Amino acid sequence: MPKQQMIAMILAGGQGSRLGVLTEYIAKPAVPYGSKYRIIDFALSNCTNSGIETVGVLTQYSPLELNSYIGNGYSWDLDRNIGGLSILPPYQSLEGSDWYKGTANAIYQNITFIDNHNPDYVLVLSGDHIYKQDYREMLRAHIDAEAAATIAVREVPWEEASRFGIMNTDEEGNIIEFEEKPANPKSNLASMGVYIFSWKILREHLIADENNPDSRNDFGQNIIPAMLGDGHKLLAFTFDGYWKDVGTIFSLWESNMDLLDRPQEINLKDAMWRIYCRNTLQPSHYVGENASVTDSILTDGVEVYGSVKHSVISSGAVVEEGAEVTDSILMPGAVVKKGCKIDKCIIGIDTIIGENVEVGIAVKDGREDFVNEKFCSDGITVFGSGLVIADNVKLKGNSMLFPKDEGQVCDVILESTVLGII
Amino acid sequence: MLIDSMGIILADNGRVKLGELSDERALAATPFGGRYRIIDFMLSSMVNSGIKHVGILAETKYSSLMDHLGTGSHWDLDRLQQGLRIIPPYMQSDFFRSPNPQDLNGLYDFLKHSVHLHVVVAESNLVSNINFAKFVKEHEDSGADVTVMYNHDADSLGSPNVSLTFEDNKLVDLRIDPLNPTSDCSSLGCVVLTRTLLMDLLAQAISRGESLFNTEFILEKYKELTIRGFENNDLTLRINSLATYFSASMRLLEKGVLQKLYKSENRIFTKVKNEAPARYPKGNHVANSLISDGCNVVGQVENSVIFRGVSIGKHSKISNCIIMQDTVIRDGAELKNVIIDKDSVIRSGVRLQGSPDYPVVIRKGVIV
Repeated sequence: MPKQQMIAMILAGGQGSRLGVLTEYIAKPAVPYGSKYRIIDFALSNCTNSGIETVGVLTQYSPLELNSYIGNGYSWDLDRNIGGLSILPPYQSLEGSDWYKGTANAIYQNITFIDNHNPDYVLVLSGDHIYKQDYREMLRAHIDAEAAATIAVREVPWEEASRFGIMNTDEEGNIIEFEEKPANPKSNLASMGVYIFSWKILREHLIADENNPDSRNDFGQNIIPAMLGDGHKLLAFTFDGYWKDVGTIFSLWESNMDLLDRPQEINLKDAMWRIYCRNTLQPSHYVGENASVTDSILTDGVEVYGSVKHSVISSGAVVEEGAEVTDSILMPGAVVKKGCKIDKCIIGIDTIIGENVEVGIAVKDGREDFVNEKFCSDGITVFGSGLVIADNVKLKGNSMLFPKDEGQVCDVILESTVLGII
Repeated sequence: MLIDSMGIILADNGRVKLGELSDERALAATPFGGRYRIIDFMLSSMVNSGIKHVGILAETKYSSLMDHLGTGSHWDLDRLQQGLRIIPPYMQSDFFRSPNPQDLNGLYDFLKHSVHLHVVVAESNLVSNINFAKFVKEHEDSGADVTVMYNHDADSLGSPNVSLTFEDNKLVDLRIDPLNPTSDCSSLGCVVLTRTLLMDLLAQAISRGESLFNTEFILEKYKELTIRGFENNDLTLRINSLATYFSASMRLLEKGVLQKLYKSENRIFTKVKNEAPARYPKGNHVANSLISDGCNVVGQVENSVIFRGVSIGKHSKISNCIIMQDTVIRDGAELKNVIIDKDSVIRSGVRLQGSPDYPVVIRKGVIV
């Protein structure tokens, strides 16, 4: 195989357990986002737009939806004869088999894949962040500094710094210390989970890390400190564009709302930096005679007959007459029937909300038996995928509705289906 | 699913003119329905019916058509064998230049190098989600030489109307735009016959120096061949004039039409553009309209079809219009019964009004 300057490895195996029912059957990178995208579209499009043509996607948790969504990478121009996109699940070998134990172990298990492409540099990414970044700029900084590793960082507010992996740097931007969620942060430069490594050096460290039984095989906690300990040069590369980890229900909701309130920050219309996604083959969306749509984004296949305010509506979703949808996210194929009042909801793929259902923090005598403050906050209610909700139900905000178990009697959820969606 | 049939789609029809819309592009490449070109419907119908080897017979003005079709990947027609093949006007050699833009030799060669039993030949000016499997099956069962698809859509025919008269389901007369129609059966421009028969017909025509090929070329052989009819009562919209183009577009807004055309399990494929979702900032008013990705709608829009990437400014009023890709409507413009081609700009305060049977057409890339 011809030598590649840099290949990308996208970590897409995590469950994203803080998203609750949204990741019950699908991996976090495959969760719908921003009306027509899935979260992983951003990492994949960034790779394509940065000229990276060899991309490994490491999958583990519930990969069916993610695998069928990505396919052969065609939608992101990654169906190449040389390189292109490869899905890399854990595998069996003569030495046995193992799940990916940590981020570093996932790359360790694919050393052969990387060696086959013989790259000088390896870009390691998370598949679950929303941002647009030209990795070439970061690679130039990495090469100029002759670093062993370059880590993308962004400035976070000081009061939030203790929630992140923080890089302490010297005046030239060299990393001198890494602290995971420090109580008293010395810096406000948070790691974005985007790394460029010189492959030869990373390769040695991955093998050493694997042989260390005490290691948790994690880039942030083990590989980076080990590289610092060995005296390698590690560079912090500051990124100042829009970046969001959509790991919680609130941050997923907020990041969707950012597309409405601060569209210029992520700028999905940038013709020089398209975010590609798999096409849903649906017609243009239809806005009916008595419909009203304000301050919202819509995509192909949507049908609106009611009122949509400040919401993100995904392909094939339907809002029937007299229904009011406010501050909400409708995932692909979701249906909101006549007379509903939906406030601050995330409605899962193909879920049908019955007639006159009311949801939200302001609903009087709303049922509280689905309130789930482990996952939900700020009045956001989440419906899983493939649910059918009964007519006339009233629910309090901060609820989360999981699919019905077999035999469970539930007057709110009439039906639930596990779906092989696309 | 058909595995032993191939398709030929005719990118142009000499009798059909769509004014400025077809000045610079083949009929097949005319934008339609917000995000499609007319040919997407015929091409997708073939693919969904299992026809995976399709020749597109291009005459002239095929640059925009080729740009749209690309390698055929959007229709899953980028195959190792078979797949999409564009058949441009044919030049046998530098020394023999065909006098006609549409020479039959290219088509003949394409058929000769194919292996399928049946060929479905279709005009491209039909908007419909057709199941060709039923059509070919009935053709096979009847033992006819040729089977032609027709319907009784007397209302929205326009011209040309290829009127067919059958006796005992055998074609006995063929009239184009008859003054006093003797039959209410109108051709839908789709015929099926065996590949070898089509090659015979072509070889005879080539030997006589003929160069015109369309579905009537086959149908007018009704005296020598057994030609039977296949009635198709599904929703079909004929595009054969500006007026029918306009009315077909407006019919997409009628209840149920969109569902019949698109929401079956057979999807209509088209070139993917990766536009951002459409934005509806505060202040807009949209009613009974189709809006596409990449649009930014601030003004008023009703009863209209808006293509991808169109921007509609504040206080503008758009009603009964078709506005194509990347056109910009500035603040305060007022348009009624207008078709605006791609990449145009309508400046602030401009007012244009056509009538439904004679819509105003603004050509591609114009500033008004």
